[in-house]
Amino acid sequence: MNAGEEARLIGLARRGDYAAFGRLVDMHQSAVRAFLRRVTGNYADADDLAQEAFARTWDVLNRFDGTSSLRTFICGVAFQYWRRARRAQGRREARETAYADLSETQTEESPERAGQRLALRKAMEELPEDQRGALALCLGQEFTHAEAAEILGLPLGTVKSHVTRGRARLQAALGIAENSDE
Amino acid sequence: MSDDLELAALLGEAPKTPDPGFRFDVLALTAERARRRDARQRAFRTTVLFALVGLIFPLAHAFGLGLAQLQPLLLVAGVLCLAYVLALWTLEGPRAVLARSRAVLRGRL
Repeated sequence: MNAGEEARLIGLARRGDYAAFGRLVDMHQSAVRAFLRRVTGNYADADDLAQEAFARTWDVLNRFDGTSSLRTFICGVAFQYWRRARRAQGRREARETAYADLSETQTEESPERAGQRLALRKAMEELPEDQRGALALCLGQEFTHAEAAEILGLPLGTVKSHVTRGRARLQAALGIAENSDE
Repeated sequence: MSDDLELAALLGEAPKTPDPGFRFDVLALTAERARRRDARQRAFRTTVLFALVGLIFPLAHAFGLGLAQLQPLLLVAGVLCLAYVLALWTLEGPRAVLARSRAVLRGRL
């Protein structure tokens, strides 16, 4: 779908057209849900947060000025929701949560892969919020560093640094030597 | 394994295709939030209106106006309120009298 069509749908949604907003949800749900799945480590929590973020986007769609992409705007809302939810709940015990989440979401994968996933989630839990956000956005190559900087409200250089250092931490958690190419 | 995409997949995979169930849940949540917001605004307006009506008498008393002096004003206010309620009932009430009358007229013309 091109930018013109997206702008038309945004215009319709601003006037209260739920069908147009539904199409926008379909366009962007994959990126937003992937981001939240990576940052939360729990598919069910991520999808709940994604729904909240989309619903909030409907409320504040008039504030979207078009200087960034709508996907970036929604992810910014989603990131704020995740931070708020995280602070409200307090930090959960990482290991228990990770085991529970693994049993919920990945039942047919090999033990080796499950172990890697668990190690990664544990490593992610130990990272600062902004660094987790930067990694979740940039590792899947769905967002550029510039987009991540806009979503997280950080300088571009900080995001790049977060990604490089965060990637090294994750690779260390998997027992992989750090790449020196970035 | 050192590939970023592989790391991303291990952290959490993107849904392969748009999920209609997810869209439905988002729209249901959006509509529910809008309904709650409207209800809150309605409750706020009602509270303000009744508070203002309730304030009339203490304010009048404070300015030295008794019930006898206020009686004409209250009578006019009461008649206006009644007219407003009747107009609303005629336009939007359960029997929608005005709408039915217009439908009848359209049928005959």
